[in-house]
Amino acid sequence: MSRKTGRRLFWVVCLAACLVGFLLSILTGPVKTTPGDLLRFIQNHDRVQAAIFIDLRLSRAVLAFLVGAALALSGAILQGYFRNPMADPFVVGVSSGASLGAVIAASLGFEAAAFGFSGPGLLAFISGLGVVSLVYVLSLRRGGFKIETILLTGIAAGALASALTSFFLFMRSDSYDQAVFWLLGSFQLAEWRQAATIAPWFVLCFVAALWLAKDMDLLALGDEAAQALGCPVPRVRKAFLAMSALLAALSVAVSGVIGFVGLVVPHWVRILIGPGHRALFASSALAGGTFLLYCDLLARNLLAGELPIGVITAAVGAPFFLYLLHKKR
Amino acid sequence: MAILDIKDLSAGYDDGFVIHDISLAIEPGEFVAILGRNGSGKSTLIKAVQNLLGNVRGRVVCDGDDVFRMSPRRLAAKIAYVPQLAEPIFEYAVEEIVLMGRFARQGRLEKASPADSAAVDEAMRLTEVGSLKAKRLSQLSGGERQRAFIARALAQDAPVLLLDEPSLHLDISYQVEVYGILKGLQKNKGKTIVAAEHNITLAAAYAERLIFLKSGAVAAEGAPGETISAANIREIFGAEVDIRENIRTGLPEISLAAGETSQRARPRDGRA
Repeated sequence: MSRKTGRRLFWVVCLAACLVGFLLSILTGPVKTTPGDLLRFIQNHDRVQAAIFIDLRLSRAVLAFLVGAALALSGAILQGYFRNPMADPFVVGVSSGASLGAVIAASLGFEAAAFGFSGPGLLAFISGLGVVSLVYVLSLRRGGFKIETILLTGIAAGALASALTSFFLFMRSDSYDQAVFWLLGSFQLAEWRQAATIAPWFVLCFVAALWLAKDMDLLALGDEAAQALGCPVPRVRKAFLAMSALLAALSVAVSGVIGFVGLVVPHWVRILIGPGHRALFASSALAGGTFLLYCDLLARNLLAGELPIGVITAAVGAPFFLYLLHKKR
Repeated sequence: MAILDIKDLSAGYDDGFVIHDISLAIEPGEFVAILGRNGSGKSTLIKAVQNLLGNVRGRVVCDGDDVFRMSPRRLAAKIAYVPQLAEPIFEYAVEEIVLMGRFARQGRLEKASPADSAAVDEAMRLTEVGSLKAKRLSQLSGGERQRAFIARALAQDAPVLLLDEPSLHLDISYQVEVYGILKGLQKNKGKTIVAAEHNITLAAAYAERLIFLKSGAVAAEGAPGETISAANIREIFGAEVDIRENIRTGLPEISLAAGETSQRARPRDGRA
């Protein structure tokens, strides 16, 4: 099968799965609803049903899709950025930094909310971006920086942020329940305002990533080679780092830290459709959104109560990841 | 007029200059090899000439334009580069790699135009990788991979071709094959070729002019027959050798004077 046919097949399957996922998300929940109810609602616009279908369930599905797409795109960018298929938003410290902010806010009872973000969400966003900026500044050297330096600095900063997170959890164990929400992620608090806040930024980053996709292909084979081929390397690198950090920080701010999507989805997609970054960015976003949509369905329906979604993403993602790795050999 | 005019060029990395005040003029259509010990500044010179290093002083003029003041995109139309062979990380196919050479001649969102496809096909034909175009880099031998990267540089359609140790990590048959292709590009396409090279015998067989670097400065320069002497090799490489003429080609040939070299303390200089 050629890569082109493979790519088409991938898109058809993914789009179909995505539509089915949205439909299932709208139909399942604590209140029993049938497809018939949905059809009747579309004809009659019942207020109670609008609250259930549109405000509770569709908003949640849209948010889950957006966050999944943002995380997968962020991961795809960082894997190219570091020329390392093991990179994800954790390696530059965004995720750990954001967890720290959320846990501090939760343990101090910081409630101020804005733009549809809760207090911890807001602080998570700020501290996530703060940690990346710090990592970037610390990695700067005269005449640019080396990617190895930023990678190691990011890992060190991430470890430090995790240690502080554990410290706050230990000191204020009464905030543990709320902290779990931020450390493992959930869409329980989803509402339209959050989706509306992150959607424009996601679209902006998505378009910018596609615009610079050819540059990323060149970077994948070495910075000096890329520049010799005509890529303005320092500027492109800055833009990609900013995009990936913004995408990850926004995701954490609305849904907590959801691991594995940023690592595993771009990796799957690359195995299926090849390394070209234009197709990889677009396909990763679609596949990541679809993946998280289904993970959220499982998180809501697997047990009587809701499971943190991070548990599902890892439990579903890891075995499938291993399967693909071995199939490839 | 020289196509590459290097004037008082000093260049290096964060911790200082590696090459010092080098001045060279390279004529259009020349095949030049830059030789020297590890750390003598061969690669540094190749990189500095196309503005890949942050720390430079002096001037490089390519085809009338100051290299240090040109955008990467404009420079890519004048100078093409074949970097040292590295392990590929992502599984690009050969044809995708070669198409990357067209980057500077395409819009960012454009697909390959007929001119791009023609240039890619021509580059693959000249380097004989056409039959490999659907293969992934990891499926290629070292020689095939090197040819794919030369094809990428050719697709750039630039008059000057710079290479950083193109024979590194290659078996002798591939070394000859790669240099044969380069020679063909010089002869048939009029390319100006500048290659950093550690193998003196190989360079002597293909290049018309050799430039020997020692500790970041030019130590000897000229045709192979003029520059490859036992005295020069002793002075530049710290090795005792015998030189004689190849009976078939008349080119200088180096043979190791075993025994005499083994006891000599090699002076340490430079960096890897």
